[in-house]
Amino acid sequence: MIAVLGLVVGVVVGLLVRPEVPAVVEPYLPIAVVAALDAVFGGLRAMLDGIFVDKVFVVSFLSNVVVAALIVFLGDKLGVGAQLSTGVVVVLGIRIFSNAAAIRRHVFRA
Amino acid sequence: MTDEEHPRTPGRGGPLPPEVPTPPPAAAPAPKDPSDGRRRLLAGLWPPRVTRAQLVVALLLFVLGLGLAIQVRSNSDNSALRGARQEDLVRILDELDNRTQRLEDEKQRLDDQRTELENSSDQAEEARKQTLEKERQLGILAGTVAAHGPGITLTVSDPAGAVKADMLLDAIQELRAAGAEAIEVNGVRVVANTYFSGDGGELSVDGRRIRAPYEFEVIGKPQDLEPALNIPGGVVQTLEKEQATAEVTRSEDIVIDALRPAKQPDYARSSSP
Repeated sequence: MIAVLGLVVGVVVGLLVRPEVPAVVEPYLPIAVVAALDAVFGGLRAMLDGIFVDKVFVVSFLSNVVVAALIVFLGDKLGVGAQLSTGVVVVLGIRIFSNAAAIRRHVFRA
Repeated sequence: MTDEEHPRTPGRGGPLPPEVPTPPPAAAPAPKDPSDGRRRLLAGLWPPRVTRAQLVVALLLFVLGLGLAIQVRSNSDNSALRGARQEDLVRILDELDNRTQRLEDEKQRLDDQRTELENSSDQAEEARKQTLEKERQLGILAGTVAAHGPGITLTVSDPAGAVKADMLLDAIQELRAAGAEAIEVNGVRVVANTYFSGDGGELSVDGRRIRAPYEFEVIGKPQDLEPALNIPGGVVQTLEKEQATAEVTRSEDIVIDALRPAKQPDYARSSSP
């Protein structure tokens, strides 16, 4: 419950405060958000499976974000930033879908 | 795309390894019954419990929500250009440059036009002013407008009835020669085609009877007009020879308000463009 509240508060604060994103971070933000979403879905699934460990969640969340940002950064340096971003988004999207499917089975039993 | 098609086995993720690594099977065996997960979810949601796990997850989700909101907002700010490719951007920039150029040209053209119009309207205004000024000047000569200014009053009293029309005409000629600009005799404006007729106390100006004393209101330079009348053998002396008296009075402000209607000539036409 508190976790859901945290999400809601984050969205509200982001919309109300309109924080300025540093230009350095800006290109990595979308990818980082998708990676974090992947980690959240993974965590939700793990919870439903009864194997949720908060430490694992924290590590996977942070490492997901960092690795995603790193890949985009590397892609930018190599001149294939757009393609690598697409690749990362596709991979993360597939994982989100598979996790969502598992969650759906738990919740709807279907 | 998902592991939906595969028979579900506990602990097995999608095509890719599950995000949360599967702990050793001994620690937490995956449940066989899916309703377990549902119960766990509900238990996690309600009642709210402040545990370390909840707080940590809340913090991370807060960060996620923040990033999400920021990204959504910055994307919706100027969405038209943000997602555009480089070639598109170059094309858009080119188009904008062309458009700017066209608008600049148009502005230049309109500015020129405005300047031209202003000039011509200035000229028209100037011409109108000059025309008005000329109309006023001509109106004074033609007797169509009233006039005032310095001048003299010449009063001719004629107890004997000896004053003739030509004497008054002489007086008018003399005044004109001395620079009189507007003349009025007993309420009749003297203009170019004014005539005097009759004699012996039965005088008329332009067909209107006038009686003695004859009063000339004259606008002009008094220092010129008075001596012109008083010169030896001039108007005043001639009148006095006929037992009439002529009296000249200088005045700073003579008002001549007798008017003449402006007449449109029947045959003469202006030949100036």
